[in-house]
Amino acid sequence: MFFVKFMGLLVLLLLSACQDDLNPSDQDERPVVQTGITGNQVGQIAPDFTAGSTILASTYTLLSETQTHDAVVLYFTMWCPICDEHMSHLRATYVSNYPNVRFFLVDYVNGSIGAARSAQLASGYGDMTVLVDVDRTIESLYDGTMGITIVVDKNGIVQMNQGYSDGSKLGQILGELP
Amino acid sequence: MANFSTKAALVMMAAFGFSQPLFAASCCGGGSSSALVMPKFATGMVDLSFSMESYDGYWNPQGEYTEDPVGSSLKQYRFNIGYAHRLGKRWQASIVTPYVWNDNQYSGVSSKTQGMGDTTINLWYEGFDNITCVWKIKKPEDWIPASYYGLSMTLPTGVSPYDNVENSFDITGRGFYRVDANLLLDKTIYPWNATLALSYGKYIERPVNREYGRYVAPYDKQLGDRFLGSLSGGYTQFLDNMDTLSYTLSYAYLQEGEGEINGITDTTTGMEKQTLSATAAYASMDRDWVFKMTVSHSPKRDGFGESFPVTNVVTLGVSHVLR
Repeated sequence: MFFVKFMGLLVLLLLSACQDDLNPSDQDERPVVQTGITGNQVGQIAPDFTAGSTILASTYTLLSETQTHDAVVLYFTMWCPICDEHMSHLRATYVSNYPNVRFFLVDYVNGSIGAARSAQLASGYGDMTVLVDVDRTIESLYDGTMGITIVVDKNGIVQMNQGYSDGSKLGQILGELP
Repeated sequence: MANFSTKAALVMMAAFGFSQPLFAASCCGGGSSSALVMPKFATGMVDLSFSMESYDGYWNPQGEYTEDPVGSSLKQYRFNIGYAHRLGKRWQASIVTPYVWNDNQYSGVSSKTQGMGDTTINLWYEGFDNITCVWKIKKPEDWIPASYYGLSMTLPTGVSPYDNVENSFDITGRGFYRVDANLLLDKTIYPWNATLALSYGKYIERPVNREYGRYVAPYDKQLGDRFLGSLSGGYTQFLDNMDTLSYTLSYAYLQEGEGEINGITDTTTGMEKQTLSATAAYASMDRDWVFKMTVSHSPKRDGFGESFPVTNVVTLGVSHVLR
């Protein structure tokens, strides 16, 4: 009897679990995006922002950077092992190969330039430019979270907004830049 | 919605599955096995445990220890419910489901989330008919250990990055089915005990069409094969009333290979971790009740892991054997 009760409870637990992973879909469910308006979806006009960095308290404005580079890449980091894998791959594979693309790491967890600089140096990324998302503006504008990678082209249009994964999507986007 | 952080995910990973959440009796009862295995002549066993895990930096891909950001405090709590049931003279099955609370504090972000983790179902075959625990070696057969051969299936009942979640703090599971082949060898020559546990797991490829709530072009993803090996040694002290106190030291090695995306190796994946742990267990005279406390420690030193968080875990558990 105990076994029956336990299994009943278990079934309830499983039914309450998230079904998306139990039965994953291979359907392309990307919504149709309205272009020509400001938004964080691919094809939309990238929301502008100004943020401080960890280097000499410099500030950067997104659209200014897009106008002077082929593209801007934003990588959202929380300085975790997965982030480290991604950032290491990003630096080794793309940063030096695309000198006219501006690469930014976006620290959205530390809340202060000092803490972000400390994390940057401890993780061994002192040679990269880190934007400090003090008030979480960038995170909010782009729905950023760990590993999310944004590419904005020189026209200010979002070309990528998804996880870094193995980096191949970023490579494809950068390779297709005019 | 259920929740917890990605670092947590690495561990539930992980958590999910990297650490054995439950502690049960050995074949003799009251022993030090780290898997949910019930004694030979029991008909069932309930196992409850509560784990408190604190994160303390991580190993980068080169195996170098790296501190967490200054001012951060990352913790995870797990309540594990397990039940084992005897299916036949040599067969037993069990199920383990965790419920997880995450408590992540950074200097600029605070997050408290909770939710169900990934569930594991196990099937074990016992390679022996009689209890193999002995007091003295009198004949060569007395050296034969208790052997268990198992299959496990991990069900993605937690919340993964591929569900409808907003950010990495919502994650409570890896999102993949996994099948493990398990071998457990356990030998007790009172008062000493030794256990070797080996596990090799393969994730099942799945389609992905969403990441952190945003739909993406569908692709197929598979995580790398997983190996877990642990070696334990223990000593059992018999009290005046024949209750027992057992002390166990363990070393565990976990490794997960590189995954694949659309059949191409994903070089940004793969991880490794080494853990030392100590367990103290109190068992009643009839071995029907076992109370355990385990402290697991990962050294904050280079070379003890790769691409994995450094954590310390304290687990309190109780097992009740049904006769």
